[in-house]
Amino acid sequence: MNRQSKSSIKLSVLAFAIFAFAPFSVFFAQTPSKQPEVPVKRKVWKNANRIKNESETPAEKSITVSANVNISLCVEGNLKVNGWERNEVRAFVSDGSQVGFAIIEKGKQNDGPIWIKILGFDPAVNKENNPDECLSGDTIEIDVPRGASVNVKSNTSEMRFDSVAKVTVENGGGDIFFNNIARGIEARTYEGDVTVEGSSGAMSLQSTTGNIIAFDVSSGEIGDIFKAKTSNGAITLKNVGQRQIEAGSNTGSINFNGKFLSGGQYSFGTSNGSINLSIPPDSSLKMFASYGYGSFNSEVALQNVERNAPSRLQNLSAQMGDGNATLKLTTVNGAIRIKKQ
Amino acid sequence: MRDKCFEIGVIQAFLDGELASELSENVARHVALCDDCAILLAEAEDETAFAFSALESELNTLVPTQRLWSKINDSIEKKERTFWEKLYAFVSNPTSIAFASILVVFGVFIGILNLQSNEPKKSVAQNVQNKQIPVLPVSKSETNIAQNSQDADLSEIKITESNPEKRDYKVVKTKFEKAKESPKINKQSNSNIKTPEVKTNYEPRMASENLSGEDSYLKTIAALTKTVDNRKDETLKPSARFAFEKDLAVIDDAIGKMQTEVKKNPKNETAKEMLRASYQNKIDLLNSVSEKSELMASLR
Repeated sequence: MNRQSKSSIKLSVLAFAIFAFAPFSVFFAQTPSKQPEVPVKRKVWKNANRIKNESETPAEKSITVSANVNISLCVEGNLKVNGWERNEVRAFVSDGSQVGFAIIEKGKQNDGPIWIKILGFDPAVNKENNPDECLSGDTIEIDVPRGASVNVKSNTSEMRFDSVAKVTVENGGGDIFFNNIARGIEARTYEGDVTVEGSSGAMSLQSTTGNIIAFDVSSGEIGDIFKAKTSNGAITLKNVGQRQIEAGSNTGSINFNGKFLSGGQYSFGTSNGSINLSIPPDSSLKMFASYGYGSFNSEVALQNVERNAPSRLQNLSAQMGDGNATLKLTTVNGAIRIKKQ
Repeated sequence: MRDKCFEIGVIQAFLDGELASELSENVARHVALCDDCAILLAEAEDETAFAFSALESELNTLVPTQRLWSKINDSIEKKERTFWEKLYAFVSNPTSIAFASILVVFGVFIGILNLQSNEPKKSVAQNVQNKQIPVLPVSKSETNIAQNSQDADLSEIKITESNPEKRDYKVVKTKFEKAKESPKINKQSNSNIKTPEVKTNYEPRMASENLSGEDSYLKTIAALTKTVDNRKDETLKPSARFAFEKDLAVIDDAIGKMQTEVKKNPKNETAKEMLRASYQNKIDLLNSVSEKSELMASLR
């Protein structure tokens, strides 16, 4: 093989290598070993302009609405929402913002709006740029039809709701009280207590740092669930009539005083708190209790008691009466105490 | 002087320049004074001259080695070759051709892998082999992911978007509802800012076979902790912060205890259930801080 033929072979190999690599160079270029860290653009929040009521008299307005109107609002201050017999919403604010209404949706029949928003300004008057929608003031009172559903958000407020159909609340801090709510409550406060009295419907009550208290509540429909959860606080339930109850607290205790209804499912769990039950001696339930570093004590006679302690964690199953309801008790460090009513 | 005469071997070595300098000086000094030695030296010179003349052709022939040639050629080429000549030289090397062939095969392999990885993600849960479904924050655009899953349990996943009503901001709220054992998150955090690593009082260990789905809990907790670490200072007041840290410590203690129980007896179903509950409690607690900060931001 002479020198010229050797050179031609080498050139051929070079050409092959170039053509073979060309398509894959795209992949190499598109496949970096580490994804670039793209800084996420955080939303720049523009503080809304609070429209202050300059008048010497408190701001007050009303609007005719449907009997089952949905009402949305955000507030900053003490709020009282009260149900009344009129198909009308009245908003009153003292020492604070103005009041206005925005109709989100009108009813098909001529019976007024079915969804409104209560504003901290009057949209018909205030044309300012980016006005604050939140009502703010020392006292904020809202009167709504009894069939109304109220949806409230707040940064920090103490709230009271009385005699309305349904309430959904999210509160950054502050206590919330409910009384005579007909068709359910969904409440969340991050710092504060939640208290429910004389209400019915499905309920979800949550607090991060605060107690949850519910008494004389019942289900509005079959299958309504009662949920209560707090991280740092006690849960006290008295005469809670829902057939499915779930209650959990990390560092607080759970106190239940009432009856376990036939077919009901009840679950109480804590990490560090005790579980205290005060029940009728003729209760009918199957009980499954797990307690690790705590104790179990029952004043009520238990049947078919089976203990199982595979380790430090102890399991106990027992029955009262016919065992119609199911009760599950779980605590890691707390004690379980069952007392007679 | 005669007794100091040198032997013929020393004289020959003197001629060949093989003597040490001191001895060589002595020989030279002696030869200059001794006629006998001078004669010996002259004879040796004659013989050496005769021998060199006879072997001249052989002695003057250079026989460089192949390695020497290569070095010489390389040094010449280094001075004279252009870029293309260097490239040609690289390619013409058999070792280079072999290396290039390996690269081609490797390139094909990487290319195929890349094509597979560039396909759109079809399912978060596709790789889940057990029945514990990890419910991690997923963006709205990925809410159809569960539909493609072949896992039977995924049919139970409900994805609901709630609360579309907001002002000039947009917070995607994706709610996953799944089996009791799965970690549940109600809202998705939008923060991707890097924070210090998760600090826990219990020993965070890798998910083991003892508790199915544990890894998804740990991942969720790690992700939430990063978010919360960023926000808790601005979100929580000192009293709330204290309560938060206290609760976190209590939950971590519970997790640690249950981990120990599960480790001792992997068949202890009660301990497993309580461990899952403790994980979920921690997720809920961390999530509450995240949700609060979102609420505060939305009302600003």
